[in-house]
Amino acid sequence: MSEKTVDRVAGATPVLLARKIKGLSDRAIAWIFVGPTIFLLLAVNIFPLIWTVNLSFTNFKANRINRVVDYVGFSNYERILNDPDVWLSMQATAHFLFWTIFFQVLIGFTLAWLINKKFKGNDVWTTIIVLPMMLSPAVVGNFWTFLYQPQIGLFNYVIGFLSGKDASSFEMLGSVDLAPWSIVIVDTWMWTPFVMLICLAGLRSIPDYIYEAAEVDRASKLRQFFTITIPMVLPFLMLAVLFRGIENFKMFDLVVQLTGGGPGSTTELASIHLKREAFEKWRTGYSSAIAIILFVTVFGLASIYVKALNKVKER
Amino acid sequence: MSNFFNGLLKLRRGPWEMLATVLIALGVFMLMQPFVLWGFTYSFITTLVGTVMFIIVSHFRE
Amino acid sequence: MSYSVTESSSMVKWVAGTLVILYAVITLVPLAWILMTGLKTPPDSISYPPKVLFEPSLEGYVNLFTTRTRVSKETLAALPPPTNFAHEIVRNRGMVIVGPSKFGQRFMNSVIIGFGSTFLSIFLGTLAAYAFSRFKIPMADDLLFFILSTRMMPPIAVAIPIFLMYRNLGLSDTHLGMILLYTAVNISLAVWLLKGFIDEIPREYEEAALIDGYTRFQAFYKVVLPQAATGIASTAIFCLIFSWNEYAFAVLLTSGTAQTAPPFIPTIIGVGGLDWPAVAAGATIFLIPVMVFTIMLRKHLLRGITFGAVRK
Repeated sequence: MSEKTVDRVAGATPVLLARKIKGLSDRAIAWIFVGPTIFLLLAVNIFPLIWTVNLSFTNFKANRINRVVDYVGFSNYERILNDPDVWLSMQATAHFLFWTIFFQVLIGFTLAWLINKKFKGNDVWTTIIVLPMMLSPAVVGNFWTFLYQPQIGLFNYVIGFLSGKDASSFEMLGSVDLAPWSIVIVDTWMWTPFVMLICLAGLRSIPDYIYEAAEVDRASKLRQFFTITIPMVLPFLMLAVLFRGIENFKMFDLVVQLTGGGPGSTTELASIHLKREAFEKWRTGYSSAIAIILFVTVFGLASIYVKALNKVKER
Repeated sequence: MSNFFNGLLKLRRGPWEMLATVLIALGVFMLMQPFVLWGFTYSFITTLVGTVMFIIVSHFRE
Repeated sequence: MSYSVTESSSMVKWVAGTLVILYAVITLVPLAWILMTGLKTPPDSISYPPKVLFEPSLEGYVNLFTTRTRVSKETLAALPPPTNFAHEIVRNRGMVIVGPSKFGQRFMNSVIIGFGSTFLSIFLGTLAAYAFSRFKIPMADDLLFFILSTRMMPPIAVAIPIFLMYRNLGLSDTHLGMILLYTAVNISLAVWLLKGFIDEIPREYEEAALIDGYTRFQAFYKVVLPQAATGIASTAIFCLIFSWNEYAFAVLLTSGTAQTAPPFIPTIIGVGGLDWPAVAAGATIFLIPVMVFTIMLRKHLLRGITFGAVRK
């Protein structure tokens, strides 16, 4: 029965059309294949983005829909770019960004260098080290608040044990001085493996014969390290640094769970500040302008990142 | 160095991309530096110019 | 044995190995602590000094999956004997189980949204990646950059208009809304990664198939897809892990029906503040699938985190 239907349909279709469908030109197939992706991205990313740009010139408040919306020109941008609070949140971001990248590169490169000595079982240990970076930052960050508890937390206990201080004498998350470092510690714990993996790839991309040639020239090990290893790994390292830079510039989940921006606003990173403006104070127009500033910054960094990506790809 | 300016004049991709990269990096630095407020104030426009420039010049010939 | 300049001496290897293992052990401590806390009783979990040795208990898991209420001693004594271990644990604390908690439902939401968005992004991503890999598309580089740049967007910046858009479309707090959103984020990774994998499949296979009278479509799903199976599988795992872990969109756009586990786990409240064993139990159940996936993925990890640029 069903076969008959098929035959009937096939018979009814004009030969020319059937051939056209069967042998769609490559160009048509290309657009059919790419189209849905582009459409989805336009609908879920670009359309909202244009809307944000539009909102950023208004004084719209999303919790008061019926209020008359006025176009205020660039005044949102003017206010933001002269607002010491926003500036402070950017400085908090800078502190977080600088130190996480510093520690992650330092520890990550060292680990990669050690792993590249190819000791027995190095791949198993590499896989184990990588685990934290794949986990949910929100869930893990939430649990770290438990490790940071002044009296009962494991972190405080270990630090207290090692330094001889009382474990309840310091609060990692509650103190203005320590909170910025507490988020650096957790982020470093989580993302050092990322830098390590990329550095490892860089180290493994260096062919042996370069070292052999250097050995023939009697270059010292230290000299080899600075004239061969470092320059050859540098493009990979740049890639890792840029990517961590972008990710941490927009850091949200981990830090929200750890400190929620506090105490006060000491760990209020850019994204957290934005969230407070947009979803707690409901200053939608104003926060849209912040969003655009963050977006342009990320977009700029992303274009440098893709350039670095292509550079590494050519290797 | 003269190569760099030659490249700029001949609208070659390499040096222009470099210039745009420097502008973006400068803008990002100005945005987050803790030293002077006017740096923060003009950071956005710097990054924006760098980014737009990057998009345009990445279509120049190599 | 011949002398090699690049092969390290056994002494160097031993030192390097020891240092790396030391780091690995330290890095595992927080994870081990999650596992252990999940098996502690609430008093054990907040004892000072922190207990490394303890009597394991399933109280955290019982508390995670149930809601309980405190009852008087008389009521407790009047109840029939407990039918299983869960009832027994709860009654020893002077409480009775009144129903299931929301955790099961939140976990299921994570599964539905995770698999839904992964399926969709792989489906669309494979098609797009094939087109980018095999056909001449005008401005292909710009399109690819555009696709990648969408992933770089700060979620909070995108969340404002999405929030308004979803409110108007009635998509807030729905599974469909979250699936579409996560698909849009994941598709960039899918396209870039899969393009790398498909680039590696020699064109000759398809060309032979085309000469044999296959259409492009047939060549695509009978020749290319089976060859790309490993690549598709590992890309799918990456997408799944992203949706599984995502927090920012979930916390801003969902509150009840479609809320996933990450925003829910930190809100598990016990008597007198957070019930850490229950939180740890939830975290354990939530994190273990990702760890298993990570171990499965280990060969393709580097590709995944660099959008396919570094292939080792």
